[in-house]
Amino acid sequence: MALLEINNLSIAVASQGQLLPVVTDCSFSVAAHETLGVVGESGCGKSLTALAIMGLLEGSQVNITSGSIVFDGRDLLQLRPAQRRAIMGNQMAMVFQEPMTSLNPVYRIGEQITEVLQQHRKITHRESRQRALELLDLVKIPHPQDRIDSYPHQLSGGQRQRVMIAIAMACEPALLIADEPTTALDVTVQKEVLDLMLDLQTRTGTSIILISHDLGVIAETCDEVAVMYRGRIIEKATTASLFANMAHPYTRGLLASIPTIDTDNDWLQAIPGRVPGIDEKVNGCPFHPRCAHTETPCTQTAPRLIDTHPHHAVRCHFAGEI
Amino acid sequence: MTLRTTIAAVFRGRKLAALGAVWLCIITVAAIGAQFIAPFDPLEIDPIARLSEPGLPYLFGTDHFGRDTFSRAVYGARMALIIGIGSVLVALICGGLIGLLSAYFSTLGHFLMRIIDVLMAFPALLLALVLMTLLERSVINTVIVIGIVYATTTARIFFGMTLKLKNEVFIDAARCSGAGHGSILFRHILPNLWSPLLVQASFIFAFAQLQAAALDFLGLGLPPEVASWGNMLAEEKIYITRAPWLLMFPGALIILSVFSMNLVGDAMRDSIDPRFKNDIAGI
Repeated sequence: MALLEINNLSIAVASQGQLLPVVTDCSFSVAAHETLGVVGESGCGKSLTALAIMGLLEGSQVNITSGSIVFDGRDLLQLRPAQRRAIMGNQMAMVFQEPMTSLNPVYRIGEQITEVLQQHRKITHRESRQRALELLDLVKIPHPQDRIDSYPHQLSGGQRQRVMIAIAMACEPALLIADEPTTALDVTVQKEVLDLMLDLQTRTGTSIILISHDLGVIAETCDEVAVMYRGRIIEKATTASLFANMAHPYTRGLLASIPTIDTDNDWLQAIPGRVPGIDEKVNGCPFHPRCAHTETPCTQTAPRLIDTHPHHAVRCHFAGEI
Repeated sequence: MTLRTTIAAVFRGRKLAALGAVWLCIITVAAIGAQFIAPFDPLEIDPIARLSEPGLPYLFGTDHFGRDTFSRAVYGARMALIIGIGSVLVALICGGLIGLLSAYFSTLGHFLMRIIDVLMAFPALLLALVLMTLLERSVINTVIVIGIVYATTTARIFFGMTLKLKNEVFIDAARCSGAGHGSILFRHILPNLWSPLLVQASFIFAFAQLQAAALDFLGLGLPPEVASWGNMLAEEKIYITRAPWLLMFPGALIILSVFSMNLVGDAMRDSIDPRFKNDIAGI
């Protein structure tokens, strides 16, 4: 059984009396010990999906309009707030994109780690501090004894992200959501942080949802990939199958836009146009205004997700043909 | 940062503010040890020596009942401190809570902040006068009224800062780790507001002195028998030509204390906010 199952999740933004859909009919699942990559441009709804799973949309302008989020056999959307808080930080945790602002500036990092532990575990102060030291060591912060009493501003971006990972891993969650955890970091630090997360995964068996716009990162780390565009999953496959049988023109465009060092291109390959705003209505396939292969059916009916290979589904009228 | 380095950072290069702090320390010592410092009972009447000039044994002279002005001034320092600290506590606790909760729970905020808007539409002294006429003259009521007057601005400040803070990523991170509303409000947001809170407290303290003196002068503040600087001014104002020292001493005390508190507040604000580096407190 999958650890996390998202069924037909739809999310909409309330704006001037109307609901504008930002995520439509999104379904995917994450098995235990697996890594799922979610890829897409800015504004395609990948972060919102993560926030919905973590229950961070409550009290905002953004609402979940339908669907279910089943974690470990329980629908998170049906739980009472207190039950949900008992899961959050304990069985599922999140690492954010901005390491510079995701730690509270007025607390020492040790206090921020022990806080999560004391929230979810019956544990003495001394034990939780000991555990915090272990965690800092685990995320490879040098000299944890000295660092545990530092304030966030005394750490570098990479170190702060490691501390965030330590906080997220404090209760050994079954699911870790990483929302572009390396985007704000230097390339060399990116690699270290990714390796660290994968290392922790092999040790603790945590499932990871890795949100990224970088197909290279996804290819290296994930077992399965979901590509999102305008709030819909447009291609979903195992990583091996995705890169072998890449079918959707958007996914291909994403891959082509990664500059390579050995071809002598002066221009960056880009997907023409831009993601339409959430208030713009696009008939038919949401990608057709930017697609190089648009034909009549694309402008009229929205394609459904069709299996083209085993464990490989594509939302395109011409999947497998182009 | 230890307390010592913090104090050094606030007053380094700000001589005037340091002098202000020294003056406030003197006032505090006078307030705490009033019964040991004052040579006479502040209520003791000596009709023979009424309206005597400053000298010995009456350092600041005597008033029209023959009470020792110096002793009354020393006890007045105690009142000033009680009014100041009390008003600051009332203003920060009421205003702080209203601002914090209004920003965090937006539906409640629409309601509470509109009440604050209505209260802020009144000039501060007028609002205090209206509230005082509804209540009896007493120390505690004066503290509550002045506290409420300054709770409005405090609520505004807290409202704005909480609105900004509650959208910070670390608040989302706290929610992600399973923190409830209470824990987010008081463990994650409030500690980030300590420094503006301290600065606000210093200004409320200063303005509360002026407000209390004004209320006393208008006969609506502390009960007339209480020795406070404002009451001393109010009672002796008709003797301004015969015994001007009766008004000069309490007046000077009020001015010096308010000025000192403002300087210290400025210095604290400047040391927190680098945009105000060379303000008046830097002289």
